[in-house]
Amino acid sequence: MKPTELGLRRTFDVHSHVLANGLKVLLVENPSIPTVSMNASVMAGARFDPESKAGLAIMASRLLDEGTTTRTSLEIADAIESVGGAIDADASFERMVVSAGVLSKDVDLGLELLSDLTLHPMFPQEYVDKEKERTLAEIASAQDRPQVVAGWAFNELVYQDHPLHRPSHGYPQTLERIERNDLIEFHKKYFVPNNALLSVVGDFQVSDMLPKIEKAFGSWPAQPISFPTYPQPVRQTGKRTKYIRMPAQQLNIYLGHLGIARTNPDFYALQVLDTILGGGAGFTARIPQRLRDELGLAYTTFASITMTAGLDPGRFVAFIGTSPENMKLATEGLVNEIRRIIEEPVTIEELQDAKDYLTGSFVFAFESSPQIARFLVHADVYGLGFDYIEKYPQYICAVTVEDISRVAKKYLDSENYTLVVVGPTNATD
Amino acid sequence: MSSLEIPSAFATEDVRRTVLDNGLVVLTKEVHTSPIVTSMIWYRVGSRNEELGQTGKSHFLEHMLFKGTERFKKGQIDLLTLKNGGGNNAFTSHDFTAYYFNFASDRWEVSLEIEADRMVNCAFEPDEFEAEKKVVIEELKTGLDSPWGLPHQEEEAVAFKVHPYRNPIVGWLQDVERATAEEQQAYYRRYYHPNNATLVLAGDFNTERILSKVARTFGSIPSGPPAPRMVLQEPGQRGERIVLVRWRSKVPRLAIGYHAPEIAHPNSYALQMLGVLLSEGKASRLYQRLVEREQSVTFVSAEYGESKDPTLFHVRAEGRGEHSVTEIEASIYDELERVASGEVSQHELDRAKHQVEAHFILSRERTLDQAILLGQIETLLGIDYIDSYLSRINAVTVEDVAAVCREYLKEDNRTVATLVSDGSEQDGEAEDETD
Repeated sequence: MKPTELGLRRTFDVHSHVLANGLKVLLVENPSIPTVSMNASVMAGARFDPESKAGLAIMASRLLDEGTTTRTSLEIADAIESVGGAIDADASFERMVVSAGVLSKDVDLGLELLSDLTLHPMFPQEYVDKEKERTLAEIASAQDRPQVVAGWAFNELVYQDHPLHRPSHGYPQTLERIERNDLIEFHKKYFVPNNALLSVVGDFQVSDMLPKIEKAFGSWPAQPISFPTYPQPVRQTGKRTKYIRMPAQQLNIYLGHLGIARTNPDFYALQVLDTILGGGAGFTARIPQRLRDELGLAYTTFASITMTAGLDPGRFVAFIGTSPENMKLATEGLVNEIRRIIEEPVTIEELQDAKDYLTGSFVFAFESSPQIARFLVHADVYGLGFDYIEKYPQYICAVTVEDISRVAKKYLDSENYTLVVVGPTNATD
Repeated sequence: MSSLEIPSAFATEDVRRTVLDNGLVVLTKEVHTSPIVTSMIWYRVGSRNEELGQTGKSHFLEHMLFKGTERFKKGQIDLLTLKNGGGNNAFTSHDFTAYYFNFASDRWEVSLEIEADRMVNCAFEPDEFEAEKKVVIEELKTGLDSPWGLPHQEEEAVAFKVHPYRNPIVGWLQDVERATAEEQQAYYRRYYHPNNATLVLAGDFNTERILSKVARTFGSIPSGPPAPRMVLQEPGQRGERIVLVRWRSKVPRLAIGYHAPEIAHPNSYALQMLGVLLSEGKASRLYQRLVEREQSVTFVSAEYGESKDPTLFHVRAEGRGEHSVTEIEASIYDELERVASGEVSQHELDRAKHQVEAHFILSRERTLDQAILLGQIETLLGIDYIDSYLSRINAVTVEDVAAVCREYLKEDNRTVATLVSDGSEQDGEAEDETD
């Protein structure tokens, strides 16, 4: 069975509009099931938090549904849950997203709540206090998970002074400093229509949907906006290591360094590299094949540089969770595979398999309305264009063996890396 | 009275159920929204079928089914998945083991060849078996390093004294360590037969054509002897059981299990509603009380899941700050008493019904999700269950909810596992930074 070269894909029309206040609106009709998925995205996230108040953006996002000028927290929850819908607000380093999923008969309510949470949150003092306490408790809880602790420590070492060194939810001492007024100011500054994007996908007709959106978001006033600036992160030139002792069954090992931004033109070559080195289907990539399938060192092991690529450079990460006696074999195994892909060309067959995988499995990213709604945001934020679905297979098919060698040498480093080990270790570097 | 507007039969209305001569049940559902086909195979074997000393066999077998056959050598299944741009995975539960492939619809039929072949021809090469044993043990250890791994394991082990639901699905470490390829192969021969399996195909294909292909691919596999019946029954519980688990964390965690009936039991629908109105969403009872008012937990959940044999209704809570486990428990029990005494309003119940209805629809968009619903219900009971599911949910009354709360969620019927600090210090750091 020979895969078709460019793969099968799902096609859909993207209807793009801009309201008078600057709000960008992207719509896709998807009548396959009677639901509607909507995202209001605001292009500000934890990367804009002041260092002394790290955690501000995440806290703001979590308070959006805890009370607006006309609804209490419980009224919001009761309204959406009474129709079986869900509304949720979340923030990442890059953006804040209020998302709602409803049956198509409840689309008016969904839009109304989406607009209310985005435009009119109150950040009630009572909930600010509660949210701080809850986040502190969640940080304490997350510290019980060795892989999470390892990930946090890894970011601190890789990003140094760049905002991405922090956990997006901040630290206990910075959470303490966040006041209600900071949240109100954050909202006032960034939550403006000219800094937002609304994507709606599902069982509706564009001609019916546009007036509804105009009604829900048309009165949102535009405002000039500026963003904080910070220096680009710098890739390390020496080795950095950290061992954190935790009584556990396994060592959780992160090994890697600074990666690339999503807009980097080498993104696609690196996606092919990822597929060959540490991703792909099942355990076909070199790292899982060698360290899991052949050596039996781990249940979970992978590597990727494209997974975390965003507006800021992401991380190149190789991970393994393994019993403590395997420490040396596991870290050497990871480094050897990184070195090998830098020093030796991949085979023609590996390259072709990886391309077939990426172009063939691309179709799975567009199966449901929430997936398509998320894609629309990505396409806009990273400038992918809505013809990305047609172009993506071409980007992948153009990658050569020489490209892989070139990007491996340019973006991967088997010597100057950060190594973090969390678990029952006695090692000190 | 709330009326649910969409009948659950929509999930089965285009499903065709075919039974081959060898007993293989085939469920097909054409979905042409995306050029994708999900193929799944479900075996009626899980940890409930495992004997003492043999735990983890079903799960280990799931791993071995990727280790190759005479025709598809080691690594070939994943490699074919890669070359064809697909995805594959598998999972094992108390009641079943399931495998799936997702492929674009112009190249998915290779999955039929693979499933038919590994139904009978799985190789148990001893070296491969021992290598994979290490992987399974690492998986088991990953579970033990998760904060909920041990409380969940101990809760089930204490709540069930006789029924195999007492054993972890991954198995007890010592059982896994001493497992042999011969025993594993014998287990495979006992349970992997067409007449103990269901093939589910959902997606962009032509049913007529594909059924004849399925008949050609699977039809020649002989049926096997009926799988041994699992006859163990859990005796009634007579009094609360309490288990403490000492662990490295200072964050208290609570896993409470109440004995509850099996899928499609007349009380099972009210128990599902009870779980939803207790903890699903921010308006739910336990959320409002413990997270919102008392601020004693970071999260709380209450859930009744469908299973083949009588199961547990689970309540979970993660404590925070200075709040003691005793205090959190007291609030949970008080809330359950309020429900039992009839405090639930019609509005609360209606809200919960709409949540169940919408979830049923919102979570079925991908072909994989549809195949999982069909395969799981067919394996546990038969897909007719789905047709009447929402109407039975709709028939639940506030009195029914109070009645099941009184009958099942009572002190004498519960097992309480608590995770408490073992006094160990963590976060000892040794660090060396050079740049």
